[in-house]
Amino acid sequence: MWLLPLFGLIAGALVGSTISFQVPPIYVKYMSVALLASLDSVLGGIRSILDKHFDGAVLLSGFFANALLAALLAYLGDLLGVDLYYAAVFAFGVRLFQNLASIRHHILTKFRKRREELR
Amino acid sequence: MRKWIVPLTIVCLITGFLLAFQLKALTDASSVNPMSQKNNNLISIIQNLEQEITGQENQVEKIRQELDTLQQNQQAPGKLNEMQEQLRDMRLWAGLTPVVGNGVIITVDDNKEGLKAKPNDDPNRYIVHYEHILSLVSELKRGGAEAISVNGQRLITTSEIRCVGNVILVNTTRIAPPFEIRAIGSPHNLAEMVTNGELEVMKATNYPISFQAENEVIIPAYKGELQFDLSQVAKED
Repeated sequence: MWLLPLFGLIAGALVGSTISFQVPPIYVKYMSVALLASLDSVLGGIRSILDKHFDGAVLLSGFFANALLAALLAYLGDLLGVDLYYAAVFAFGVRLFQNLASIRHHILTKFRKRREELR
Repeated sequence: MRKWIVPLTIVCLITGFLLAFQLKALTDASSVNPMSQKNNNLISIIQNLEQEITGQENQVEKIRQELDTLQQNQQAPGKLNEMQEQLRDMRLWAGLTPVVGNGVIITVDDNKEGLKAKPNDDPNRYIVHYEHILSLVSELKRGGAEAISVNGQRLITTSEIRCVGNVILVNTTRIAPPFEIRAIGSPHNLAEMVTNGELEVMKATNYPISFQAENEVIIPAYKGELQFDLSQVAKED
């Protein structure tokens, strides 16, 4: 059952790679920010599960709002001549690594606990 | 069912989609820059026009055939029959009818192996140039060829063999390697001319070539237009 998100990821990837629709090259940049935001959401979701304060509404709203706002802000930045794109990449990049670090900590502590129990 | 499964699956689904989508867009985008996109537009315009030309050419050919059958069906008395026969001959000589007969088929191709072996060498030394085709055709003509086609393009008096950029035009149609030159004529005479000429030179420079004598060489009709707006029959003294 816990594999379902993984299957979702694979199914999404399959759909994304088979679909023939294409984003115009100018918008690829904004797509990449949205992608970064959604990756951050996935890792954030996993982290919140491990932290035991998972909330579906928070995850979903954060996911859509972050992805859309990031893309929109990057676009707005381009209109204004300010590279907000890099701000978004930086912000989500940092959060992504923090989430990853937190997940790693959780897994490590779990692993150690189990080993101590075994002793 | 744990409560985190559904939201996380939805998020993962969309993330996976975005991931694959972005990867695909980027791999496509790296090969597509604005210039080449412009080129693509030009390519599609050229292709459309070429399609149109082919359609028109087929129409011209169809109408010519219709005209032919109409002329043949008419049972006319006296001199008209003779004139029709003359017309048929003229059309044959002008290259407006498909012809079949004893002849040869020559194919020449770019020397891809040679270029592969020496990738740093000048590629111009390994591709077939329009001069090659022109020389071969001239030699075939000298050898008494009655009808010649290059990649399905019938050569008539106004046909050009011309280099434009990196393509060869025959009858203003782009042709690409491998080039197949068909000629109707005495295979012996034709072979004599080309194998002592351009074909031998090409063989010596390692171009993949083939020379075949055949009993039934089919050569298509000229499909383009014939324009004689300015030429008039000169009065002979």
